[in-house]
Amino acid sequence: MKSIRKYFIVLRISLQNAFVYRSNAIGGLLFYTLFIFVFFNLWRAIYQGGEVAGYTLAQMVWYLCITELIVFGCKTGVFNQMNEDVKSGSIAYQLNRPYSYILYQFSNALGSMVFNLLLYGALAIVLGLAIVGPIPGFRLSFLPLGLFSAALGMIINFFLMMTLGLTAFRLEENTAFFWIYQKLVFMLGMFIPLEFLPGWLQNIALCLPFSYVAWAPARLIVAFRWDLFWQVVPMQLLWAAVSVILSAGMYRYGVRGIQAHGG
Amino acid sequence: MFISIILTLYFDYIYNLFYSLVLPPTDSFTLLGAIYDMDQATLKKRVEELTGMFELGDLLKTPVRKLSLGQRIRCEVAASLLHSPDILFLDEPTIGLDVVVKHKIRELILRMNREQGTTIFLTSHDTGDVEQVCRRAIVIDHGVIILDQPVKKLKYDYLNRKIIAVRFDAEQHLRVPEGVVLEKAGKMGARLSVDTRICPIDEAMRWIISQGGVADLTVEDPPMEEIISTIFTGRPAAG
Repeated sequence: MKSIRKYFIVLRISLQNAFVYRSNAIGGLLFYTLFIFVFFNLWRAIYQGGEVAGYTLAQMVWYLCITELIVFGCKTGVFNQMNEDVKSGSIAYQLNRPYSYILYQFSNALGSMVFNLLLYGALAIVLGLAIVGPIPGFRLSFLPLGLFSAALGMIINFFLMMTLGLTAFRLEENTAFFWIYQKLVFMLGMFIPLEFLPGWLQNIALCLPFSYVAWAPARLIVAFRWDLFWQVVPMQLLWAAVSVILSAGMYRYGVRGIQAHGG
Repeated sequence: MFISIILTLYFDYIYNLFYSLVLPPTDSFTLLGAIYDMDQATLKKRVEELTGMFELGDLLKTPVRKLSLGQRIRCEVAASLLHSPDILFLDEPTIGLDVVVKHKIRELILRMNREQGTTIFLTSHDTGDVEQVCRRAIVIDHGVIILDQPVKKLKYDYLNRKIIAVRFDAEQHLRVPEGVVLEKAGKMGARLSVDTRICPIDEAMRWIISQGGVADLTVEDPPMEEIISTIFTGRPAAG
């Protein structure tokens, strides 16, 4: 227990830090609101009543609120942090500390993620209710399951971004990976639900981690079904484990090649 | 025996006080205490000891971003000692500090060594750090140890030279003996470099006194920079 306690302390301090810098969130909150407003109008023009690919307009707006909350609202900057740590060499200073670098970074990021989840989550609820009202047939009792899926989505997102950031150990320029990853997450579930895509692309997407970041939790929250839950959550658990292993592996692989240069 | 080692580095940022420039050092101490699995009572006692030693009282609750560089370094060094490491590596701890703060940090380093028994590896390009703090000096050139000696012996072995600054009561026109070089001459004073292999120091002193009217006299070792430069270049310094 002693050795886990340190990560909770990191989390606590990170949360405190996020709270002190809470005014920094204003810009993000405004952007989030603008994004939801713009795309509500877009979807309202597209819908003209009825359903599209099984989503009503209300579900679509709430879907966007949730995917934006997960990907934009709870973003952590871990990719840039990893890049900076590796390229500046400061990662070497942490080698002799008695903690897991990966877990330390996760605890650190978790503080701001929790803070942003509460802040953007409140805004998402306000916007959703104000724009389209509650989703007809929505049951609050299923929300915890949806939130569990959202937590898994954020874990997958974090550790995959960390893995990509740690490629800085071997690559001078790795921002292309960031952009490719972002676009894949965007197109495979963040911007439009997977159900809007052609069948063959849906099948491919369901085998990859990107749609489990945003689509899976948003889908479960706006239109919960038990068969869908048992389909996506195990995959999320699998991809969460894979992403953690990948980031740990990338770290160990990279750290072996560290060279210290004095001067 | 468990040996704990902490690597503390000071380049253009300070790392022990972690990422938070908003929160005060006390939170970093709490975090470091948790990282090193210290129990609350031990941590509290240690923080009190270090607060006294490093005079951190007013600084503990001040956000790190409001601390001056010298204050941050004091907090940093204190933080690095929280878990009582046996060995401490300090990489250029006085870089960028003014002379008063440098002196303070050097005093604290000596105190850590004396009172805590901490072995300190100090790397520095500031030869003042070496002269005033270190008992033993190791010079590394391209990854190879080219010298490992007590600092006193370093001066004695590497430069058989003394610097004498003398001030006379009246104007003097000095004709220096062999082995003495007039580095700088004023109307009533001079700075002399004495090669003690040619002109032993007592002879040099007798010669100076014989000029008459000596108002003040200072004998110094050559600056450490010269010694280090001599070691690296392999050439004895002029004089």
